[in-house]
Amino acid sequence: MKLLLALAWKNLSRYRRRTLITAGALAAGVAVFIWLDGWLAGAERESERNIVWYESGSAKVLPRAALEDLRLLSLKEVIEEPAAVESALQAAGVSAARRAVLAGELFFGEGSLLVKVIALDPASDGRVFRLAETISAGRYLAPDEPGVLLGEWLAQDLGASVGDLVTLRARTRYGAFQTLELQVAGLLNCPNPLVNKGTAFIPLSLADQALELQGAVSELDLGFPERQQPGPRLEAVRARLAGFPGLAVVGWKELAQDYLMIARAKTAGSSLLLVLIFIIAAVGIGNTMLMAVFERVREIGMMRALGLGDGAIRLAFLLEAGGIGLLGTAAGLALGAALNFYMVRWGLNLGAMIGSMDIGYRVHTVFRSAWHPQALIGAPAFGIGASMLISLIPSSRALRLQITDCLRHK
Amino acid sequence: MLRAEEVRKEFRTDHTVVAALRGVSLRIEPGEFLSIAGPSGSGKTTLLNLLGCLDAPSSGQIYFDGRPVSGLDRRELARLRRRNIGFVFQTFNLIPVLTAFENVAFALSLLGVERGELRRRTLAILEEVGLAGLERRLPGELSGGQQQRVAVARALVKTPPLVLADEPTANLDSDTGAGILQLMAELNARHRTTFVFSTHDPMVMGFARRLVLLHDGLVSKDERRTS
Repeated sequence: MKLLLALAWKNLSRYRRRTLITAGALAAGVAVFIWLDGWLAGAERESERNIVWYESGSAKVLPRAALEDLRLLSLKEVIEEPAAVESALQAAGVSAARRAVLAGELFFGEGSLLVKVIALDPASDGRVFRLAETISAGRYLAPDEPGVLLGEWLAQDLGASVGDLVTLRARTRYGAFQTLELQVAGLLNCPNPLVNKGTAFIPLSLADQALELQGAVSELDLGFPERQQPGPRLEAVRARLAGFPGLAVVGWKELAQDYLMIARAKTAGSSLLLVLIFIIAAVGIGNTMLMAVFERVREIGMMRALGLGDGAIRLAFLLEAGGIGLLGTAAGLALGAALNFYMVRWGLNLGAMIGSMDIGYRVHTVFRSAWHPQALIGAPAFGIGASMLISLIPSSRALRLQITDCLRHK
Repeated sequence: MLRAEEVRKEFRTDHTVVAALRGVSLRIEPGEFLSIAGPSGSGKTTLLNLLGCLDAPSSGQIYFDGRPVSGLDRRELARLRRRNIGFVFQTFNLIPVLTAFENVAFALSLLGVERGELRRRTLAILEEVGLAGLERRLPGELSGGQQQRVAVARALVKTPPLVLADEPTANLDSDTGAGILQLMAELNARHRTTFVFSTHDPMVMGFARRLVLLHDGLVSKDERRTS
């Protein structure tokens, strides 16, 4: 084994340029894999965080009837006595925030835009959401004021700024139109683009009076300490609210099905791209090993004549290909990790390129990567393994020749 | 030690069958210094390949130490060659990335010889073939004659009972070739190793103590000489 290792190592330097080119191709493949995979993992992680922190909370308590079509944004189905539900949730140690969600049209100057209106309780909303931390101009809402918070992109589309008076037209709980004159209290630069470009926030007490809610809300939003695996806590909340048959507890993953489907599709597409990158690298290694074997057929014949077994000859080329794989993946790992480090630390600002375009991910403008240990281990392991496996094809072909044919080979 | 009985070898191409050996019988005793000679196409290399268990006869049988080799599988044949036969090729066939020392030591490494003994035996045989001081040279840094000496050392370092050499001087000038043959003759005398080499060069034939002449795949003459 030591002899074969030494031979493989020496043969690597035999065709230095070819070895470096092949290792370089593999390095590029591994580096792109790590970079792209980290980027996808980062976008997914950030999207999930932004969904939970700014869009849906960890879960929602909703009237069961409202589940039929959550996109309606109607006040028709509401939780009549949120206080009783809150008490049950409090007993379960879960924070909750009251919200009323409806569709509306916002007017300013000559223009208007259809928006999602969220009426929130400024005092308790921070238990679940982090909107207050995203104020970029003006201030957060005060409890009873006739004010509104707008996403920056929404305000820009509308042409409104802090202090301007805008008009909101919406339907009351009973379907009548109501018009509200609101002053823009502040602007949000929220990392979640959906919030930034299409949502207006008003105080819940104002909505309660103007939209005839009479203390009802459309949902209670829940904040769990954990984000990734809320399942057990979700089950505990469901058990605790068993006495409220008209209500349903829905986790954020069920609420963000649209995002999750897009994310899965993008991951599948990216995986295909990564497979292609590896195929290109594999073809490069295959070609290098094919040439290496072809040029050394006589040498193989000589080694066989001297009594080196077929398995040992296969192993010699396997080790040589593994050496190229090791060089390539080590360089690729270093390059990919460096790129990923930059992306984790500083990220890439794609704001100018994507603007307010919906790309599925709930990421604002700066895309940050995440460390994905499986990719850091898996990509080099796959690169080395694939290199070694590919070398079996040409070496097996050479071993099918008679020793005498090998020795005559020119 | 080595016996060929009615050995035939045919090579088939798409439309023709070429009979390279047409029934060769030969008995080679330990310590012989034997030349298989004949014109091009007479079957010298084919016979050498069969004696060295590098190829199998179409019919007939080769016996090594009284044992027929036709029943051996690839692994057993490799083991037989590894332990019992040294090869010297016309084109040297050294591994270009290994030094002279490493090329010679390669044959011992295959036998799993312990490191200290491997070093001692390799240095000793390199000195014996006149390459002391050139151990660290790569084949590309050696002359043709020196490369063939490395090849002879590689064949002899494992002290095999049999060394087969296919036209060992064909790529060397006459002086260098004579030097190689002289060396092989000395090693034969010193180690009692059997040497069988093929050639069509009369000068080379002159070194042999037994000359087997092949003609059209048949032994036309088998002559023993006294030195």
